[in-house]
Amino acid sequence: MATKASRSKGAGRWNVAARTLAAIPANYVLTSLAIACLARLLPMRPEEASVAATLFSFALFAVLALIAFAVRSVVRLWLAMVGAGLLLGGGLWLSIVTGGRL
Amino acid sequence: MKEGLRQSMAWLHTWTGLLLGWLLFAMFATGTAAYFQDEITRWMQPEVTGRPDPVVAAEGAVRFLQTTAPDAKRWFITPPNSRSATTQVFWQPDGDRPRGSRRDTSATLDGQGRKIEARETRGGTFLYRFHFDLHYLPVIWARYLVGIAAMFMLVAILSGVITHKKIFADFFMLRFGKGQRSWLDAHNVTAVLALPFHLMITFTGLVTLATLYMPWGIAANYASPDSFFDTVFAQSEEVERSGKPVPLAPVGAMMRTASAEWHGAGVGFLSVSNPGDATATVSLTRAPEDAIGSRGPQLTLDGTTGRRLDASVSKGAALETESVMIGLHAGRFAEWGLRWLYFLSGVGGTIMVGSGLVLWTVKRRARLPDPERPHFGFRLVERLNVAAIAGLGAGLATYFLANRLLPLRMEARADWEVHSLFIAWAAVLIWALVRPARRVWIEALALAALLFAAVPFVNALTTPRNLFASFAAGDWLFAAFDAVMLLLAAGFGWAARKAARPRSVRAPRRAPQASDTVAAA
Repeated sequence: MATKASRSKGAGRWNVAARTLAAIPANYVLTSLAIACLARLLPMRPEEASVAATLFSFALFAVLALIAFAVRSVVRLWLAMVGAGLLLGGGLWLSIVTGGRL
Repeated sequence: MKEGLRQSMAWLHTWTGLLLGWLLFAMFATGTAAYFQDEITRWMQPEVTGRPDPVVAAEGAVRFLQTTAPDAKRWFITPPNSRSATTQVFWQPDGDRPRGSRRDTSATLDGQGRKIEARETRGGTFLYRFHFDLHYLPVIWARYLVGIAAMFMLVAILSGVITHKKIFADFFMLRFGKGQRSWLDAHNVTAVLALPFHLMITFTGLVTLATLYMPWGIAANYASPDSFFDTVFAQSEEVERSGKPVPLAPVGAMMRTASAEWHGAGVGFLSVSNPGDATATVSLTRAPEDAIGSRGPQLTLDGTTGRRLDASVSKGAALETESVMIGLHAGRFAEWGLRWLYFLSGVGGTIMVGSGLVLWTVKRRARLPDPERPHFGFRLVERLNVAAIAGLGAGLATYFLANRLLPLRMEARADWEVHSLFIAWAAVLIWALVRPARRVWIEALALAALLFAAVPFVNALTTPRNLFASFAAGDWLFAAFDAVMLLLAAGFGWAARKAARPRSVRAPRRAPQASDTVAAA
């Protein structure tokens, strides 16, 4: 990675670490929540909806990983991921509490 | 990361590609070989000949099981098909006694149901299993590791495409003998030529173990994953033996019934529950070579009368998609032409990963502060590249040589064939660590070339099925295997020769272009 003279090497490292954490563990949690919601929302039989959501998960994970390294601001990246995670997690919790599972 | 999108994607491509690149190289190489796993197994058991009829072979297998395991809970029979010449049988003993070694409850049979007297080997099956189970470590760890590597691959492919703006223009450029540019071109050509294949194979590879990597889609709808699997794979309920002995009806007739139901497609797999009892049932699954989907339809018949009991219901769109994706990955449906195309695409993928790994060092060498004394990370990558690329080649050739050279009646022979592969691989790794960097590529590549070249000769000395005899007899399987070994030897030899060229024959430096700076990021 081309380091700009204006930026210290330490800052670059933190930047990469924050993006890597976002791109791998946080991404996995977010993708899991998103496809869990999808599995509950898709208008299909439950086993079909589960499989369709699972198939989609790898594409979602890969694209989110790219986004984590493509966006300019790490802070906004994390804010967006945490926000989306809370929203999806809350929705999933509500859906399971009210609808139950098989 | 204040640079543009392409710079950040180039950085991502570089590091996702490198970090698990060595594992990906091994996965690509063994997965490519696994497209010919049945053929490799046949080459590794030269004693086995003939083209048995699947129906006759299945009836023979039933006779074998009736004498060997009459009280088993279940029998599983995989009859021969157009590619394999043997019947595989496996049985689940009655009672809950702890499972012994798989060797005690399985056998390989010939077309008449006799245990075959061939050398003990894991054949092409080992390469297939290594592709996703690796070796010497618990299968579950291996599968997570392989899954992580596959996801890195997917990200590397996507970021590579974004990085490479002129992807199709550059595709027509292959500049030989120009140092870094040649490596870049080789990487681009093999990547772009088979890009749809690489994307398909990486994605469908993840799908083969999807519920392991991403169980949350199922967990969202099912409190226990078992209820999901019960819904999807409607296993016939396990029924207690009645104790009333009734002989099994002929399976040949059952196979013909199933074939008729599937418009002539063959039977790929039979499972017999409670054989020899009044409660016996037989489940038949369609042969994988007759359709893309990996989970063919099933038909369940009464084991004593052959009466039809149950047929699998057709799957929904999502499950059907999953089945086709897995089928596309495994390529079991592929005829000869398509199978070779799969193989060549896999070779392209292997070269893509290998050239990408080499490119990492080639690009950085010129920019090292002191090229004579590179830093630790550079040296490590350089040595691991040798071990991963030339070492695996030497290991695979050694695996085939061990198959011909180990004593036929040796204890744990099949295991030692596998150990030979890793001993050779480890030897190259150690060699790569101790030798001077300039020499090590040449020596390791030349060693791999020599070992591959030795395979047809050792085969000719140890079996009657040599290259000329194979050609004369029209035995294309053996002829093609020997020919591929010689081609691999030529490929590694050519690479060794290239590596031996002095470095001064580098391309004259041109003014850097936009694509160069990006590629060097």
